[in-house]
Amino acid sequence: MKIVAVTACPTGIAHTYMAAARLEKVAKELGHEIKVETQGAMGIENRLSDKDIREAKVAIFAVDINVEGRERFHGMKIIEIPLQEAIKNTREVFGKI
Amino acid sequence: MLEHLKKLRQHLLTGVSYAIPFIACGGILIAISIAFAPMTEKGPDFSHTPTLKLINDIGSASFSLMLSVLAGYISYSIADRPGLVPGFVGGYLANQVKAGFLGAILVGLVAGYLVELIKKVPVSKYLRPIMPILIIPIVSTAVIGIVMVKVLGVPIAHLMAAAKDMLQTMSTGNSVVLALVLGAMIAFDMGGPINKTAFFFGAGLIAEGQFRVMGACAAAICTPPLGLGLATLLRRKLWTEEEHEAGLASLAMGMIGITEGAIPFAASDPVRVIPCIMLGSMVASVIAMMGEVGDRAPHGGPIVLFVVNHKLAYVLAILSGTLVTALSISVVKLFSAKPSAAAAEAA
Repeated sequence: MKIVAVTACPTGIAHTYMAAARLEKVAKELGHEIKVETQGAMGIENRLSDKDIREAKVAIFAVDINVEGRERFHGMKIIEIPLQEAIKNTREVFGKI
Repeated sequence: MLEHLKKLRQHLLTGVSYAIPFIACGGILIAISIAFAPMTEKGPDFSHTPTLKLINDIGSASFSLMLSVLAGYISYSIADRPGLVPGFVGGYLANQVKAGFLGAILVGLVAGYLVELIKKVPVSKYLRPIMPILIIPIVSTAVIGIVMVKVLGVPIAHLMAAAKDMLQTMSTGNSVVLALVLGAMIAFDMGGPINKTAFFFGAGLIAEGQFRVMGACAAAICTPPLGLGLATLLRRKLWTEEEHEAGLASLAMGMIGITEGAIPFAASDPVRVIPCIMLGSMVASVIAMMGEVGDRAPHGGPIVLFVVNHKLAYVLAILSGTLVTALSISVVKLFSAKPSAAAAEAA
């Protein structure tokens, strides 16, 4: 399945990227295709294109702060979870899909 | 209700995430200028060093923008783009009336929700185009300005002054209690929301000219990764091959004040690891508090040593906290079996 995700935490230097790495690793193990956009202290990195979003079945928001550009995901299934969940219980997160 | 509180927290943290670099920039530039200027009884003397004075002024400029950015982005998070103007102006006024970061947080929230309300007012389609560029900014900002200056400002300014006064004159017993609570919060979720709450309490007070709370946090921030890293070196048999590697990374993260370094250990064995790192951080923050360590940078760990005063106490606090963490986890691991294999599976 194609999945898009956004990770963001208040400081945006460590957790944001740890969560992104975990999501990518577990998605691969489960045979999903995932692209993770990080919204950290450096701003938006690995930005999701309109095409990425259009092709994805579901969006995962692993965030402690507001998602920038939320309107891009309008109308699609969104799973929003606290960032910690993506780091600690990554598998359960994918179970929610 | 819970959903509402979660949203509220998200808005606050969004504002904080934009404000932190401003505090870092202001705090460190000011600290540098003060460190090199001759100290007199009335504070640092910049009269013969125009360059240092300039650096100090630049740092102060960053500080004075901080409250605007905090309030502005809290409001932005709630109400999107139309929330920016009342938020920024409200934050600026919070600075003017000395309502501090508490005032800025409140005014940001009020501004955001007010704009959300105005957005919901039905208007004719001829008026609609001028809503976002004229009506909303003018009406909301005028209201927010009046509320900040005439209603909220004075009581909050008093409250802030009282809080600062209390922190300044706090008895030893009370300051130890505060340090214990801060230390426990910092270690508990290693960079998560509880950690950030304690951290921003300290960081916000830097802009108010109160550095000791941040000093206590700064020492507590680095001992979980440092202590666990040290523990993997002390008795290598207690740890797996993976953990040996994580231990080195953890030491490096600890040196630059990133509590998150402890997460790999805590994630695989939370029941035994988290109490030990909390203990270590509490020891570190209490020693830092007793040693009157002040930290002007909103960051912790050995890396901020050069902007910390009472450096010896700071080093002592970090070393003690690190040792306590390392020894306690080693003892706990020696004498207890792993509580559950399920916890390891989750990692």
